[in-house]
Amino acid sequence: MKTPFAISFLLGLCFASTSNAALPDLSGVTNNGLKIEIYSELSPLAINQIHNWELRVVNDSNVTLELEKLLVTGGMPEHNHGLPTQPQLTGRVANGNYLIEGIRFHMQGLWQIKIEIQVNGLVDTASIEFKL
Amino acid sequence: MIKELLLPLFASMALIAVVGWNYLSIPGVPDWSEDERRLISSLSLDALPPLPADPSNKFADEPEAVEFGHRLYFDTRLSSNGQVACASCHKPELMFTDGLSLAMGVDIGPVHTPSLVGLAYSPWFYWDGRKDSQWAQALAPLEAKHEHATDRVQLLHLIAEDKTYRKMYENLFGPLISTEKLPESATPKGNAQQQANWDALDGETQRAVSRSFANLGKAIAAYQRKLMPGRSRFDDYVAQVMANSNEDDALSNSEKSGLKLFIGKGQCINCHNGPLFTNHEFHNTAILEANAQLPSMGRYDGIRISREDPFNCLGEFSDAQATQCSELRFARDTNDLVGAMKTPTLRNISLTAPYMHSGQMTDLAQVIEHYNEAPSSMLSHNEAKPLGLRPVERSQLEDFLMTLSAPLATEEKWLAPPEY
Repeated sequence: MKTPFAISFLLGLCFASTSNAALPDLSGVTNNGLKIEIYSELSPLAINQIHNWELRVVNDSNVTLELEKLLVTGGMPEHNHGLPTQPQLTGRVANGNYLIEGIRFHMQGLWQIKIEIQVNGLVDTASIEFKL
Repeated sequence: MIKELLLPLFASMALIAVVGWNYLSIPGVPDWSEDERRLISSLSLDALPPLPADPSNKFADEPEAVEFGHRLYFDTRLSSNGQVACASCHKPELMFTDGLSLAMGVDIGPVHTPSLVGLAYSPWFYWDGRKDSQWAQALAPLEAKHEHATDRVQLLHLIAEDKTYRKMYENLFGPLISTEKLPESATPKGNAQQQANWDALDGETQRAVSRSFANLGKAIAAYQRKLMPGRSRFDDYVAQVMANSNEDDALSNSEKSGLKLFIGKGQCINCHNGPLFTNHEFHNTAILEANAQLPSMGRYDGIRISREDPFNCLGEFSDAQATQCSELRFARDTNDLVGAMKTPTLRNISLTAPYMHSGQMTDLAQVIEHYNEAPSSMLSHNEAKPLGLRPVERSQLEDFLMTLSAPLATEEKWLAPPEY
């Protein structure tokens, strides 16, 4: 009895890790209802290490949207200051995700990331909060 | 009769209450919440990741570069008066500081000597972050008129004429450029004569000289990467807490209370975070300038200087690809950085007085009092807010800071001049 249990437990672990690997590190919804997914090169997120993000925006049908503009800013609302860096959109990676370089967090606590996009001429924003 | 006694009685009770509130600690030791345990463990040396590579210096971890850099570091011949070495201000016995308010090289300098311990983890150097690598940093004092006051061409003559140095240099970096046709002294940074000599050199020679000069910085940086903090009583305490051990005697009750303040009410951990107790960032905390000095623009100027530095990560003397220079490429340069200075490490803080970027404060009590008050800044704004710490809390915080000192985790041979 023990062996099948161990096998199913290990299989469960494998599937769990596979599905976790595909999960975004951060996600949010824009004012117009579009979903934003952020995949961080540094995962889990941590302080004091500069790193890059990949970002994609999908609609209700899970179709990845082309962005005419993408701006990432952020800060700590409790401390009234911004990011210590100026992240920039620098290109796209093979799977079409947008590459944002130069992300770093320099304090523990609540962070708020603001994403400004433009899709089909419409400007849209999202705010994503998380704690480090 | 009773009425006559009441007033003195109430007055005495009020006095006892005021004195007790200010100077007596509440009995008992902190009971750490999950969030506090997470914060405390994030400060431990056990959480320190391996030293990251420096892609701008391909010799950074070469043992021969460490040996060469070690010799250069302690060599007073690397100065105009033959009396100043890197070790003259960054003294091993003082945790690589000098105990002075303002650095004293060939002449007195404008800023306080920071510790080099654990500095290899930092993406920025100098109080205002004007340098973006440890090797580029090492070059500037050699040519600064108040520090070593020598120059790149004088240094190349020294390397060429010292047989051991020449051999060590060439084993690492290849043939040294011919120094026979070079003037005795030349640099684009020096006095009028040095600059005239530099301008008289053709561009190719200038670049070859600067490349050789950069190599010296890369060797010194390779040595400095060996200077790492050692395990302190605080780190032992964190291990006890995280092991849920019944033994938690590595810190006294007062020190534990100070730790609680450090991660809580004192807000110290906002900037002094991570195992090195620094976020390597720049903050304006309204520190007054040293006597007779104008307020410094701090990081606002530092990032601009760094971007123009020919020895930066993106420059021709760097070994990095542009994509590896993220800190420089994406650095913030906004107005709120006016007057902002780099957060120093608190490791070994009890051994590195005086404090602040110009050594303005002689002891930790003064530093804590400054942050407790959070005065207005003379230039731009103070990021910190008043803390309202009672005298007993300030004393506990100081007690905690004293637990961060320990002998370095660096081989003894690197802490003394090389044996010839």
